[in-house]
Amino acid sequence: MPLIGALPQPIASAPAITSAPLVLFIYLVLILLLVTALTSAVVRNTVWAIGSFASSMALLALLFLTIAPFLLFAVQLVIYTTISGGLLLGVLRQTTGLERPPSIPFNRTWIAGGAIAAAVGSLLLLVVAATNWPVDLLQRGVLSLPHPFVQTLLDTYAVGLATLVVLMGSAALGTVLLLAMPWTARKGRELPAVGRGPRRSPS
Amino acid sequence: MTAGLGVFLMASGALFAVGAFAVMARRSAVMLLIGGQFMFAAGAIAFVAFGRFGRGATEVNAGPSMALFVVLTAVAQLTLGAAMVVILYRENQTLFPDSDGE
Repeated sequence: MPLIGALPQPIASAPAITSAPLVLFIYLVLILLLVTALTSAVVRNTVWAIGSFASSMALLALLFLTIAPFLLFAVQLVIYTTISGGLLLGVLRQTTGLERPPSIPFNRTWIAGGAIAAAVGSLLLLVVAATNWPVDLLQRGVLSLPHPFVQTLLDTYAVGLATLVVLMGSAALGTVLLLAMPWTARKGRELPAVGRGPRRSPS
Repeated sequence: MTAGLGVFLMASGALFAVGAFAVMARRSAVMLLIGGQFMFAAGAIAFVAFGRFGRGATEVNAGPSMALFVVLTAVAQLTLGAAMVVILYRENQTLFPDSDGE
């Protein structure tokens, strides 16, 4: 029987991942994640930066698929990546404006993006074909509800979840209030500089 | 060839450094937001890795739970930050927060 006030004991350490395809996949995802993150931080074009950012968040979701419960992968991929990419593109449209893509649909940018997407997709297909790894995860994640992870969230972290709901609700409310707030342009910007000041008589 | 806790912690540290670089070196408000998101993501990776490999975690799902909280908090921060960027642009006609619009 545990003593009153005794600290909970940590669980035993899990061994490192040794399955060769999975290890290779993890290394590849980590390298691509860092490269896209660095690209996002360095590149001057904001649209490219946002694209790299969304890619790195999708790669992070893939990383979570390998070492975390399926729910975290789903949240990261569906909610975080979609919302963050959409929000940042929306910010650009509201501010500096996004230019329409050129009339030729298959210019160099589209071809490069398609090639990168095809390479990543074929790599994923290769891993799926060579191992049984994501199928097994999907079966455990979707078919065995309620998942232990969800049970832990509901049982152990109920207060945290409630706090999170309040936090997200207040963030949404704050965002709506900020965007609905009437705004006034600065005085110096309302009128052209030429027409201001007392009128002088022509000499 | 193995992938243990050290690999994930190194990646987490590198991602945090990239985020800090974006926050400190870039002047655009959008890049400030993106840099902050990278730092959040680095924290989430560390939480998940500690939970997965069991160093100090009291239960298996503690790390992913914290990572879920981190991810959703980052979404809230990004939402508010995006609204503030729009306000900044409306007021100053610029995306650079440390300039006064001149």
